[in-house]
Amino acid sequence: MNAFYENFQRHSHGEGLKAHSTHYCPGCGHGVVHRDLAAAIDELGIQDQTVLISPVGCAVFAHYYFDVGNSQAAHGRAPAVALGHKLAHPEAVVISYQGDGDLASIGLAETISIAQMGVPITVIFINNAVYGMTGGQLAPTSLMGQKTTTTPEGRGPAMGQPLKMAELIAQLDGPVYVERVALFDARERVKARKAIRKALTNQIEGRGYSFVEIIAECPTHLKMTPQEAEEWVKTKMAPVYPLGVKKDLTVEPWFKPGAPVFEPTPLLELIGAEPSADVDAHAPPAWPAHLPARDIAIKLAGSGGDGAQTAALLLTRAAIAQGYDATDIPSYGPESRGGTSYADVHLAEHEVLNPAAPMPHVLVAFNAPSLSKFAAMVKKGGVILYDSTIITAPPLLPAHLRVYPVPFTRIATELGRPVVKNVVALGALQAALQILPEDSVVDTLRHVLHDKPAVLPLNEAAFAAGRDAVEALLLPA
Amino acid sequence: MSASVRPKPYLEPQYCKGCLRCIEACPRDCITPGSAINPATGLVPVELHLENCNGCTLCLQACPEPYGLRLETDRAGLEGEFVLEDPAKLFGEKCVPNHSEGDLPDDRRALPDCEPLVLKGTYATAIGALLAGCRHVFGYPITPSTEGAELMARILPKLNGHFVHAVSEVAAVNMMYGAGGAGLPCMTFTSSPGFSLMLEGVSYMIGAEVPGVFVNMMRGGPGLGNIAPEQTDIKLACRGLGHGNTHAIVLTPSTPQEMLDLAIDAFALAFRYRNPVILLGDGYLGQMTGKVRLPASMIRPGLPAWAVWGDRAHRHNLISSIALAEADLEDHNEHLNRKYAAITACEQRVDCYRCRDAEVLVVACNTPARMAKGAVETARENGVKAGLFRPITLWPFPIDALAEIMPGVRRIVVVEAGPGQLEDELRLALSHANIAPPPIDHVRRCGGNLPAQDEILATLLAREEVLS
Repeated sequence: MNAFYENFQRHSHGEGLKAHSTHYCPGCGHGVVHRDLAAAIDELGIQDQTVLISPVGCAVFAHYYFDVGNSQAAHGRAPAVALGHKLAHPEAVVISYQGDGDLASIGLAETISIAQMGVPITVIFINNAVYGMTGGQLAPTSLMGQKTTTTPEGRGPAMGQPLKMAELIAQLDGPVYVERVALFDARERVKARKAIRKALTNQIEGRGYSFVEIIAECPTHLKMTPQEAEEWVKTKMAPVYPLGVKKDLTVEPWFKPGAPVFEPTPLLELIGAEPSADVDAHAPPAWPAHLPARDIAIKLAGSGGDGAQTAALLLTRAAIAQGYDATDIPSYGPESRGGTSYADVHLAEHEVLNPAAPMPHVLVAFNAPSLSKFAAMVKKGGVILYDSTIITAPPLLPAHLRVYPVPFTRIATELGRPVVKNVVALGALQAALQILPEDSVVDTLRHVLHDKPAVLPLNEAAFAAGRDAVEALLLPA
Repeated sequence: MSASVRPKPYLEPQYCKGCLRCIEACPRDCITPGSAINPATGLVPVELHLENCNGCTLCLQACPEPYGLRLETDRAGLEGEFVLEDPAKLFGEKCVPNHSEGDLPDDRRALPDCEPLVLKGTYATAIGALLAGCRHVFGYPITPSTEGAELMARILPKLNGHFVHAVSEVAAVNMMYGAGGAGLPCMTFTSSPGFSLMLEGVSYMIGAEVPGVFVNMMRGGPGLGNIAPEQTDIKLACRGLGHGNTHAIVLTPSTPQEMLDLAIDAFALAFRYRNPVILLGDGYLGQMTGKVRLPASMIRPGLPAWAVWGDRAHRHNLISSIALAEADLEDHNEHLNRKYAAITACEQRVDCYRCRDAEVLVVACNTPARMAKGAVETARENGVKAGLFRPITLWPFPIDALAEIMPGVRRIVVVEAGPGQLEDELRLALSHANIAPPPIDHVRRCGGNLPAQDEILATLLAREEVLS
């Protein structure tokens, strides 16, 4: 048989008998299934393609024996590891080989979720109704009344009922083939071999996920001879775990992912990068001398839906397009779904040293709670713009601030769309502070809305109207 | 094939454990329990009496030992008329490409100059990963890290890549174990509680030497804590990557640009050392939008020789962290220790800002380093010779660069969004380097509050007044 190593070098360095003997106890069902699996791999000619995932449990050392690609997984995680291998190399034939503790207890979430995904992998499930490697403890598949080291009086009703994995997996929509087989006599062993072969064929042909449960003998922990164990599986286990095909769908081959793309052009398009011949040609304009600092902090605050976040991002983009540095930190989490939503923007000549804005130079407030909450934090000599349509009774604001009440909402409504009140606010901010060159925000709007040209005039009008409103306030009375 | 020419079984008695499963399998009673103990094994092998055998092979199917009952034709050196066909002859050659021996190297592809992008930190990291050749992302949603995964979920299908929304962080990290074990760049986005869950898998990846990149946007803890920024997974990332003798390079970005640049570096380091790499940011870094320039090239990843890929060239490979014999596991740990030592010698990274003549050294990383930078600038304006020592690798701690600066330093101020985990790393590094530190003060906030520039400045100036 090719699929077994000629010498088990990984088994105690292949010393002595270990070069050709397994670590399994005499009569162990694992050994029988190993031979079945090796035979199927040989018959299907897939030795080079096969990646075998060994679990934690008695089969943890499957990689000692199988001359295929091997990966040894953490307890219960073999299907997740198998999925990783399958998606990395879809032409590999990936087998997740697991026992009952691994598959049906600690790894239940992985087992079910990956079965339901339906990606063609092959799961071989050895159900021997007991934990082997740790020494005979209760398994999720132990029978009622079965004595184990952790159920010395026998499994009672409060210790759960035997978990019927094949039936559970079969009722999922993901798998195409689920069968339960056994090893207790020659006839069943022939069926087991066929089932394993079919489960592999489904994968090779890209038809889907297959699951073969094999009820198997653990003579050591059943404290029986191998013959008694076979009889026990036949007469005690099989009635609880009925043998046979649980699901067998006829599915056309479907799993054939294309080769991953590593070409620069499609990637740059997907991330929105724009090649440019003269990236560093234009130096940023001189930083306006009238500003109090080379790094201006602006807090934009309102209710979720006021557009504070969009306005913050537009401002940030506009500054970066000019060659300045800029940052925008949104408030995130529950607050952005209804409560106060705010964003901290920094625009800096060279480098934003500190992107938070606990004490901003400028506050743009879209509602009364925002104005009340943040007005006191504005730096001395700073600027507040607020929506005087919404905030009709503003709190007493510190005298050292420049305050611009601007009816963002009314202006936007008169233009036909209240949602552009944030762009009205940006126009107002432009007139009040003139941080960025006159056209920069509108240029950014044009850029951002290039695929929605219909709404551009509205936004341009909103920006102009906001700017005009503040300029009107600035005119000598 | 007629019964008379079918091969019959044979048994090398030392490979029989005497389980007797073959006896019941044989319809012609050709096998009987043995009577003699085999001196090599101490077990009693079965005995074959093949006069009536018709070569049905049912006994072979019952035998649990690979080298137990076999066909005569498999016997070493046996010349017979029964020649097993080469599967390749029967089924044709595999369609799988066979890679040559050795590593298939990465292919670097030039990118045109592009306008700077305006990106949220998690997006910048996602784009960095794409440029580094990552097409396999596994994750579970968690604020404030989810957007990176969402961007990947949008883009990867268009590049024939895969994003899997796993059933849990535990499943996600094990999918990485699989894809990374297959030799491909893979990653996840997570935040503190999710990172805790992944640590079992991180330990396995380190033990099995599987590369992979973990982006942890740290948030407030312990427990569910909150979703605001903290730096309280420094201990986990530097000292607690699951069970056992584990270390991984921990990169700490502080700008959206570094969220991209260090993501690219993270993949290179992960493969250079066959080890996970942790990109450790804080919640603000994940959410913050800023200016990001693209690099000059992108990568089409190759395939390392050690990959468990599923083809002939890589068939003998094994990804595993189990070494049952004490001597073997000790050897493996010594191998890991040599790797850790190499990383410590070669991969320390730091950004020193105005450190050359600094008397007061601020140590900070991630977003708090930016507040600290502002404070250092202002302290300088106030006549205090302050400098910012910003580790870019927290493990290994950049102690070599620090040792050069230390002679002039009269005082250290550690600034962090946490209760002192960064300071612990600093003190441990100084201690291992036998450097007696000057007084160490700190500015610590937590719960999602970051140290403010003014707080830091006050601390920088306060003791200066006392000292002067």
